[in-house]
Amino acid sequence: MQLSARLSALAILSLLSIPVIAAEDAPAFFRGLNLNGPAVQIDGNPWEGADSVNYICKDSAFEQQNVPLVPSTDPDRARMIRSSRWNGNRVELKNLPAGLFTVFLYVWEDNNPETFTVSLNGKTVMPNVNSGSAGKWQKLGPWHVDVTGDSIEITSKGGAANFSGIELWRGKHNGSISAPINETDLAFFENRIRPLLAKHCYECHSSESEELQGGLLVDSRPTMLRGGENGPSIIPGDADHSLLIKAVRYDDGTEMPPDEKLASNEIADLERWVSIGAPDPRLDATRFVRKKIDVQTARQFWSLKPLTDPVPPAATNLDWSTNPIDRFIAARRDSSGIHPVDLADKRKLIRRATYDLTGLPPTPDDIHDFLADPSQDAFAHVVDRLLASTHYGERWGRHWMDLVRYADTAGDNSDFPVPESYLYRNYIIDSINADKPYDQFVREQIAGDQMPATNDEQRNQQTIATGYLAISRRFGSLVKNYPQHLTIEDSLDNIGRTLLGMTITCARCHDHKFDPISQDDYYGLYGILNSAQYPFPGIELEQKPRDFVHLFDAGKPGDKLAYAMAEGHAEDAALQLLGNPEKLGDVIPRRFPEVLGGQMLPAEQQATSGRLQLADWLTSPDNPLFARVMVNRIWQYHFGVGLVKTPSDFGIRGLPPTHPELLDWLASRFIEDGWSLKSMHRRILLSRTYQLSSLAPADDEAVAVDPSNDLHWRFNRQRLDAESLRDTLLSLSGELDVEMPRQPHPFPPSEEWKYTQHHPFRDQYDSNKRSVYLMMARLNARPFFTTFDGADQNAGTPSRDSSVTTVQSLYLMNDPTVHDRALRFADRLIRECDDPIHRLTLAFELVFGRPPSESELKIVTEWMHGIDDDTEQRDAWSALARTMFRTNEFLHVD
Amino acid sequence: MNPHLFNRRQTIRTILGGSMLFPAIVSELMAADAASTLATSPLAPKPPQFPPKAKRIIMIFATGGVSHIDTFDPKSSAGGRDGSGKDKLMGSVFPSSRNKTTGVEVTDLFPHIRASMEDICLIRSMKSAHFDHTEAAVGMHTGSATFTRPSMGSWISYGLGTVNQELPSFIVIAPHLPYGGTQVYASDFLPAYHQGTRVIPGSEPIANLAPRTPKEKLQQLELSLADTLNQFHLQTRMDDSRLAARIKSYETAFHMQSAGPEAFDLDQEDDKTLSMYGLDRGDTKSFAWQCIVARRLAERGVRFIELVDSGSRPNWDAHSDMKEHEPLAKASDQPIAALIADLKRRGMLDDTLVVWATEFGRTPTKEAEFGRGHHGECFSIWLAGGGVKAGHVHGETDDIGKTLVSGKVNVHDLHATILNQLGIDHTRLTYRHAGRDFRLTDVHGRVVTEILA
Repeated sequence: MQLSARLSALAILSLLSIPVIAAEDAPAFFRGLNLNGPAVQIDGNPWEGADSVNYICKDSAFEQQNVPLVPSTDPDRARMIRSSRWNGNRVELKNLPAGLFTVFLYVWEDNNPETFTVSLNGKTVMPNVNSGSAGKWQKLGPWHVDVTGDSIEITSKGGAANFSGIELWRGKHNGSISAPINETDLAFFENRIRPLLAKHCYECHSSESEELQGGLLVDSRPTMLRGGENGPSIIPGDADHSLLIKAVRYDDGTEMPPDEKLASNEIADLERWVSIGAPDPRLDATRFVRKKIDVQTARQFWSLKPLTDPVPPAATNLDWSTNPIDRFIAARRDSSGIHPVDLADKRKLIRRATYDLTGLPPTPDDIHDFLADPSQDAFAHVVDRLLASTHYGERWGRHWMDLVRYADTAGDNSDFPVPESYLYRNYIIDSINADKPYDQFVREQIAGDQMPATNDEQRNQQTIATGYLAISRRFGSLVKNYPQHLTIEDSLDNIGRTLLGMTITCARCHDHKFDPISQDDYYGLYGILNSAQYPFPGIELEQKPRDFVHLFDAGKPGDKLAYAMAEGHAEDAALQLLGNPEKLGDVIPRRFPEVLGGQMLPAEQQATSGRLQLADWLTSPDNPLFARVMVNRIWQYHFGVGLVKTPSDFGIRGLPPTHPELLDWLASRFIEDGWSLKSMHRRILLSRTYQLSSLAPADDEAVAVDPSNDLHWRFNRQRLDAESLRDTLLSLSGELDVEMPRQPHPFPPSEEWKYTQHHPFRDQYDSNKRSVYLMMARLNARPFFTTFDGADQNAGTPSRDSSVTTVQSLYLMNDPTVHDRALRFADRLIRECDDPIHRLTLAFELVFGRPPSESELKIVTEWMHGIDDDTEQRDAWSALARTMFRTNEFLHVD
Repeated sequence: MNPHLFNRRQTIRTILGGSMLFPAIVSELMAADAASTLATSPLAPKPPQFPPKAKRIIMIFATGGVSHIDTFDPKSSAGGRDGSGKDKLMGSVFPSSRNKTTGVEVTDLFPHIRASMEDICLIRSMKSAHFDHTEAAVGMHTGSATFTRPSMGSWISYGLGTVNQELPSFIVIAPHLPYGGTQVYASDFLPAYHQGTRVIPGSEPIANLAPRTPKEKLQQLELSLADTLNQFHLQTRMDDSRLAARIKSYETAFHMQSAGPEAFDLDQEDDKTLSMYGLDRGDTKSFAWQCIVARRLAERGVRFIELVDSGSRPNWDAHSDMKEHEPLAKASDQPIAALIADLKRRGMLDDTLVVWATEFGRTPTKEAEFGRGHHGECFSIWLAGGGVKAGHVHGETDDIGKTLVSGKVNVHDLHATILNQLGIDHTRLTYRHAGRDFRLTDVHGRVVTEILA
């Protein structure tokens, strides 16, 4: 239905833009050119031979008439195909009148597979054609060209292509129409073939099938010619090599129909039909709509329901009514009969908020200022101060980097460096610090290069933003059959999980087993990204990076490059049967998944990739998932656990929200606040729920009733993540370099790259910068980060584990890094404080955010004396520092 | 948190009084608690789904693609098949002979392993996940040639835990990283404690195993004070088992400082054993060191031990000359055969499954001077012990070693079979991630029952 709607939209468009041709409904055969060989007759049409004056081609002529063709074909066509031109790959068609033409190009392979890109008048019409193994031939096209001069230029680049012949039609040929059918043949088809196919085959092989078998549709001529998973079902004129005939004969493994062999006269009819060219009036390709999604029913699922704006419950306890969040939380908790704990003390609260918003500990001055401020707004001031710190963007930017699987290398077999990646990293951090509205932030990352900009800086930043798609993983080491489809899958997987909380890539090979996502939905999105150009970072057998985007300088493209997206060859993509890019099915119009609205790429945007529309569809307030997924993530990063505990899966296999009304209320506020993260942080941090203590009184019944704290009767204790741990150690030792790097990592210049999978990129560039700025490679993870549950550079990390392992303990006991930091921390303590008691207090405040208790003071002082006897003061204090670094109090935030 | 443990710890603390030599003394006193804390460890042993044939795996991974034709599936080079013909067909470059008992033919590259064929189950009908190194190597380890997935060792650690809490459950001895880098032993979406711990032969095989304080006593003093501070902290947070687990983990780590080096300390091996492996005393660089350490780790209860034979550079990837196989075979033949014999004489081969694998085979046609290209269509691997048939050959290839004739085994089948020997049904070892239940074998895999004893 949607397809035909689009086709008619296209038809209207072509009527409007090409009035001259519009009257001429049926395309007419114009000319055939056998580029090497004599004049021939093909499909009943006369073809000119190599001596024609209607073209220019200086390529070498080449013939190999004994290679069996796949699929086999009629003798004239075979002769034309097996004599071809190569080396140069440029044909200029001459003597053409003005008007619209349709071009088909015959290519074939005589020995080893090649991959090449075909262009018409300099414009790519078919990227990455794989020529297949020896004997394979293809009729490429149809390509439509408006001839204004008198010629058309056909070229190819990349691997060696064999050009066999060119077929030109006047007017717009859709590629599926073949020679007109005569009445005798039509009668034969209608009386003998159509009923036979309908009776024996349609049940499993038609657009009406309950489930389509083998990807094969026999209810139209184009789909029979294209075939299913095993290839074309018929080769007109060649019954013996047609799969259909082999199958009904039961002589080649495949037996169709499976229940019972056809009668011999029926088989004979089919043989005759194929032999005379399979005349067939069913010219419109049929389509099997794989998953018939009942959108109405599907949207009854909680996460797909339209966003609501619930009224916060009335306050039952005035102490708990400070903030609507608390009223939602209290309502649910009170109904369970559980009592909340008290508020956290001020020291714990400022340590919590400072780590939460900046990933660093509060300084003793920060703590004392807060303690000294008795005002009602004291904590609000702390929150504002922290949100204004550039460290906020580093902490929350890192959360985003977790989700978008940020890395500084490409992830191919040699793990090629991407020195320009850091621009995208800095873009994230700068955007978060600037509190860029979340919808704009996402729009820029999908299609920033396509968005209007008022100056170079804005244009460049928006271009760099598309690094989000550009950093998708690369695969393999070969130029041939470069698995671009896997990179696109990686992009779609991330878009689905990060932005929508949906596992859409399950539908790459088959309809989603659980969620209302069809294979058509997947390839509707796939076509959009396949129409964009990804930068090429280099691989083992093609070392030179290319297709990076030039950033603007003084109003025009300058020398500085970004690893970013550009527009590519815009076209709808064909569905890949079982996810195999070599087995193509229907072409799926570019669109948004049906259950999220199913918006189609408008006719007037067909020449663009559609990323701009995708960006709008994703970020629309009508998309119920977009805001819900993000506010849940914000909640999760603050509280350690989301309201939905499966933050990247809001589908049927995910978990439902513990507080659905609160989730929607937050999402509505998020939109109302102009998608401001900082406003959302303030709302949450100023709630009583956030400020609760994490400690439970001994024998608190809540521990038994709700041990996982789903009801938020207390705050969740959280372990420092890898970055916070490293940054804190560096900060305590006074070594942390807090400047944001505005330069790339010191990668060697790309001219010197010789990375292979045998000698992959393995460098590490260490620094004392914050961890968010460390160079992260995909194939060589840093041991510190894998030890402390760091993010996966190869796939989005929606939440960090907080494992307890012996390897962590060994690290804290023996790693030279820890020992060095402890030594410098000791130096700092000695430098800053003469009096041992004050020094000890300072150490406790720096590491734990509090002074030592009386008994701790006593024990530690005695302990220090015990060591001091035979050690230097510096050694004793560094021993104490190491000890403190191993405590649970240091490693956790209450 | 186990309250019993805490009370006991408090008692111990009282006993200790002013003493600061906490861990050394306490560890003895707390030995009785080992069982109760074990139950709380995420790596605690878990019962298999059904009675297992094997309790642990030693996997030897020969990187680069070992030519099946020149090793375990020799093909005749008679009749002009010496690479000089137009078809470039090249039979085995090395002479071969048959194992006397089993009749299994192996080339002279592996005379010692040939002599061990009565203990080995050879699979000549493996099919690779991919034709390129990285994908095939990652596929052999994780089941997926393209997407990041947990390694087999991580899955097994997740499924069965490990019996020795003082050593990691999954150890990878890799002087150099193989293709795919750290991915081959990553736990990916499985919890981090299931990731492989890389051992680099040398003075400190496992990172941070050596105490770094100037004096050993100082480390004990530090741990003692940390424990005191942690106990104060814990008193008001008794309900948080993670805190108690970390306190416990320092004790484990403390012991690992001695248990770890002990496992790698070959001084305890007698000369006879060393010479059996062909290892010179003090040598840690050779593959023989890896093999003998593997046996020691197996004895100490490590669940999955992988030995990476070479790495992503100079390895079995013989594109220019098959003679490049010679030094590699020489380095690994005797130690591998010794490993099997050593396990056997200690009665460990019955419940240890040894797997020798590579990522793919090599083409039957010549490349460059006397080399061969990558060939994933068919290649050879072998298994020993752990309930597989001994002296058995599974599957066959055609007379030039190009295509499979029978008995196809792909990586999923291999993984399903390995899990089966450990008492795990590969369809029932699942982990919920990103909206679905993942398996090592994804939606594939068949237990190759034909090779089971």
